[in-house]
Amino acid sequence: MSESVGSLWQEKISRRLFLGRSSLGIGTGVGTAALATLLGEEAGGQPARAPRARRVIYLCQSGAPSQLDLFDHKPGLVARFGQPLPESIRRGQRLTTMTSGQKQFPVAPSVFRFRRHGHSGAMISELLPFTARMADELCLVRSMHTEAINHDPAITLLQTGSQQAGRPSFGAWLSYGLGSENRNLPSFVALTSWSLKGGQPLYDRLWGSGFLPTRHQGVRFRAVGDPVLFLSNPPGIASGLRRELLDDVARLNRLKLDSFGDPEIETRMAQYELAFRMQTSVPELVDFSDEPRHVLDLYGPDVARRGSYASNCLLARRLSERGVRFIQLFHRGWDQHSNLPRDIRELCRATDQPSAGLLRDLKQRGLLDDTLVIWAGEFGRTVYSQGELTSTNYGRDHHPRCFSMWMAGGGVRAGTTYGATDDFSYNVAENGVHVHDLNATLLHCLGIDHRRLTFKYQGRHHRLTDVHGRIVEPLLA
Amino acid sequence: MGWLRRLTRAWRRWWRMRAERVQRPGLCPRLPVFTVRVLATAVGVIGLGWGPASGREPAQTVDFDREIRPLLADNCFQCHGPDERARKSKLRLDRRKGVLGQVTPGRPATSTLLERIASSDPAHRMPPPGTGRSLTSAQVSRVRAWISQGARWTRHWSLRPILRAMVPAAVPGGGGRSRNAIDHFVQDRLRRNGLVASRPSDRPRLARRVTLALTGLPPQPDQLAAVVADGDADWYERLVDRLLASPRFGEHLARHWLDLARYADTDGYQDDEPRVMWRWRNWVIDVINGNMPFDRFTVEQLAGDLLPGARPEQVLATGFNRNNRTNGEGGSIAEEFRVEYIIDRLDTLSTTWMGLTLACARCHDHKYDPLSQRDFYRLFAFFNNIPEKGIYRRNTPPLVKVPTSVVAGELASLSRQIDALPKSTKARQVLETRRADLLKAVPSTMVLQEGPRRDTFVLVRGRYDRHGEKVIAGVPESLPGMARNLPRNRLGLARWLVSDRHPLTARVAVNRVWQQLFGRGLVTTPEDFGSQGGRPSHPALLDWLASEFRDGGWDVKRLLRLIVTSHTFRQSSRIRPVDLKLDPDNQWLARAPRLRLSAETIRDQALAASGLIVEQLGGPSVKPYQPPGLWKEIAGGASGAYKNGYQSDRGPGLYRRSLYTFWRRTIPPPMMATFDAPSREACSVRRGRTNTPLQALALMNDTLFVEAARRLADRVAAGAEVADRIDSAFAHVLGRRPTAMEQRVLMASYLRSLARFSKRPGLGKELLAAGGARLHDPEGVAARASLVTTCHVILNLDEAVTRE
Repeated sequence: MSESVGSLWQEKISRRLFLGRSSLGIGTGVGTAALATLLGEEAGGQPARAPRARRVIYLCQSGAPSQLDLFDHKPGLVARFGQPLPESIRRGQRLTTMTSGQKQFPVAPSVFRFRRHGHSGAMISELLPFTARMADELCLVRSMHTEAINHDPAITLLQTGSQQAGRPSFGAWLSYGLGSENRNLPSFVALTSWSLKGGQPLYDRLWGSGFLPTRHQGVRFRAVGDPVLFLSNPPGIASGLRRELLDDVARLNRLKLDSFGDPEIETRMAQYELAFRMQTSVPELVDFSDEPRHVLDLYGPDVARRGSYASNCLLARRLSERGVRFIQLFHRGWDQHSNLPRDIRELCRATDQPSAGLLRDLKQRGLLDDTLVIWAGEFGRTVYSQGELTSTNYGRDHHPRCFSMWMAGGGVRAGTTYGATDDFSYNVAENGVHVHDLNATLLHCLGIDHRRLTFKYQGRHHRLTDVHGRIVEPLLA
Repeated sequence: MGWLRRLTRAWRRWWRMRAERVQRPGLCPRLPVFTVRVLATAVGVIGLGWGPASGREPAQTVDFDREIRPLLADNCFQCHGPDERARKSKLRLDRRKGVLGQVTPGRPATSTLLERIASSDPAHRMPPPGTGRSLTSAQVSRVRAWISQGARWTRHWSLRPILRAMVPAAVPGGGGRSRNAIDHFVQDRLRRNGLVASRPSDRPRLARRVTLALTGLPPQPDQLAAVVADGDADWYERLVDRLLASPRFGEHLARHWLDLARYADTDGYQDDEPRVMWRWRNWVIDVINGNMPFDRFTVEQLAGDLLPGARPEQVLATGFNRNNRTNGEGGSIAEEFRVEYIIDRLDTLSTTWMGLTLACARCHDHKYDPLSQRDFYRLFAFFNNIPEKGIYRRNTPPLVKVPTSVVAGELASLSRQIDALPKSTKARQVLETRRADLLKAVPSTMVLQEGPRRDTFVLVRGRYDRHGEKVIAGVPESLPGMARNLPRNRLGLARWLVSDRHPLTARVAVNRVWQQLFGRGLVTTPEDFGSQGGRPSHPALLDWLASEFRDGGWDVKRLLRLIVTSHTFRQSSRIRPVDLKLDPDNQWLARAPRLRLSAETIRDQALAASGLIVEQLGGPSVKPYQPPGLWKEIAGGASGAYKNGYQSDRGPGLYRRSLYTFWRRTIPPPMMATFDAPSREACSVRRGRTNTPLQALALMNDTLFVEAARRLADRVAAGAEVADRIDSAFAHVLGRRPTAMEQRVLMASYLRSLARFSKRPGLGKELLAAGGARLHDPEGVAARASLVTTCHVILNLDEAVTRE
């Protein structure tokens, strides 16, 4: 049975479900059939392009890291310490109500030192020594911008292409468009971790499937209890008995199939088989005992703590090795409205070595060539201090008008720094990249034309990039 | 007066028909003099209007609405559609005038439309290559055929008035497989597709099907026994009446409504803090059980506060439009979110009542349907006067406190007792305190209120702070206007929705009921009746049901009764090989569908079959089992409202029906999400029915299903023989006796488990310890544990999670 049917995420089944029983699939012909038109086919004058990346590891830094203290070096600000932000820069643009009532907007230069790294000479802050050593792998974008000024809508936009709840997340789109390479695991996995007190909350919608069939939603692997919900057998049911009971369920379902002829029964039987296989494959996956010391060391000491960002980074590598299409990490704690210099140190300590370790580990295994790694938060932070500014302390408010992020691996140009902001890191000065542009470019690396990966819902052909998005050619290898 | 109403309606219908057919003067019917004649005319018109879909014309005739408009919509409307700003060359192909201006009826060779789409010159051909759209040669030849046949234009089907279609004659030789008008419509289509209806389903299966469909619970074995033994011909109709009268019916239907109403127990943004709206949910359950007509149900929820002399319950009903998500995130801009709430309400309104994708017109004119951005903001104006803050958490004004009927009764009785006692006596003080406490315990519910009128503007690109043209409240221009006597406020809007002239409300409502019963609507896109949505599989049936519903007083129970007593509903769901070949998706309904149960029903069935269920009607939300730590890992509010994380209830709260489960939008109850329940962040009219390994894992290992198996084993343990116990457990879940083959498999399963547990009694104890009930089985741990695993096998069967 299991041999003939294979995995849920196998497109044969999905497609049949999709076009047949799934009430969401009616009238929308995108299953495997659509892949031909999504992949590498000429569309709208764009040259065909083979996929460079087969999978994605998205290191989402939730809460919005400060670009001013990590990647966007503004040495000129030191001389302007405490001076009001010039109106010529601010231009009356909206602020959050957390600082819009402030009497002053004093310029707060970063207290951290920056230095050039690698052959590419990328400017990176001393807060990220491990990432800096990987500089020549990075494609650093300093001219990102977004629309939302609050966390919930902004991170929803970053991950689903819309500020409103209800759209499919990036990974769900990819699962829908490309299916899975693995028979025993979901095609989209989400992993969460946090520093300090936790910071901004996350929402199921960030790995949700929106209006796509729910089988495309990300499966969150958990750090407490079962890694996947309801994975373990109940007390008293040993694995051998479980196997027998499932065989009995299958026998009875087979009788039903013979008398009722509903192919859905066959699918259910296959799903039970896959569930049983997951009971073995998932515990193996989260068990790091087969990892040699030198590999564990790449990720830093936290790797031993299940549920840490470091441990999730290693888990991401293990998932990518097994063909999981989209691995979404979220690390919470970057929302530093006050005491930024103190708190950002802790966040960088927890994330810098693991992020860099992941890149190195992937590279050593030859996986980085076809794995796209993305590091980004939902927006940037203000150059002016929220609250009191001293020579050693400041806070920064939300800032959607510019922020920094990096990519590495399959399809992107390594050792590049792209885009620039003005002297205050307040406005994009050149080569702005909107979230939609980023997503269009990422899909391009995966061999997908962002205008063609569509799903018809409420009368519209929806896309991850809505009606926007442009491929940023200079970011491509 | 019935005849007068009919005549008036027939007259109106004729008038609209005429208006649509002026282009073909020869066919314009004469003025009606007698009703009979009008009806005859209407029949003729229906035949023409539906074209080949109803098979009354030769198959090769091209129906504009069915074949050509969707093609134009898909390929041309982007630049030649309703959106004024995107329009090129001032050409509109979504309007009659625009289309007919591009064709010469009967002469394809001189028709510009055809010339452009069929051109071999890429620079001349439409749509241009850059759009990524193109027409196939088959599509081009349909356009050619349509022009050759006279290029007859018709309005989009869902915007035409609802006609009461003539019921087709019964299919000859139907073998008694026709019970009411629905079957005539369905079998007429079956015949033309070379299919025949299935034979009736057997009685136990049908009883389970209809009980699940109407109450969301399985029949209890004693009820089933009574049904099977019932010798009367109308056993089924009486069963249906009993189910419709059951309080469980209101709970089940309310569950469907909660998806549309985006009901939840939290606010949905950032920390996703708790709110208290269950009192509104109680209202929904109560009025559905009381069979409130759908027009009143509509008016009270949209504008109960504006009804003259509004009763507290009518104000409570408007809680419907306070179920939207609300943002309390620090730093947010109040006006931005106040606007978002109104937009959410418009989205909900248009999806729920009109099946229109109005939200598209927030930023620009609709690309496919005749809805302008101005239309959008004219509707916006109806909701713009609610005195509501933009940024808030928890229950925030406007609020009402409406005691439940039980509490109201207690209060009244207390007041009577108090009045009977002399002032400042001890006894009286005690009663007064009790009354005050009772009153204090009544929860507040967020509702609507009409505040001072705010000016409304078109918002440029949908941005809250970019005011364009000033507009006043009004309904979309492409729909029938508001009657002159209706007030230009929410109340008028609500009454307009349920007026006889509205072409959408009744169609959309009956389609949703059909979807609930058959798993897919007659229109498979219940959220979109526009030009990009699906077309009805049975247009005449849809309109017949809609007019039946509307003209019959919007009686929901009557509509449900009508459908479930049809042969179409009652037939067998066995799939004959020929059906699978000719109609794999079962759109023509030659068999009843087999449908995976909803998340709520799967859980409720396990509770009911095992006897765990606590059937208390209404009340605050409850917290059943949830794997520990889920909230703490990702959610906010850990320092405030959710300090203690998720704390499962003890006792009854674990076993209430699923519609009472505390719904946290950013982390919905995991079992619900696994089985395709929406997050309730926005209005949702359609759930998927996926089939995944995570569902298998939940049924295999979720504590609730293990406990249900254990309790089911307790319930049947009194049976004399093991075989009796197994049969009984089977019947509790599936409503029938197992076949001999099934019995053999189950018995073998039981015996294999018995052998294992006899060898390892410790494991049996562990299994039985889950839940902590006393063990009474004199045969010992191994026997009982084996019975539990057998019950668990039954709960995991495909049939158990399927309405068959």
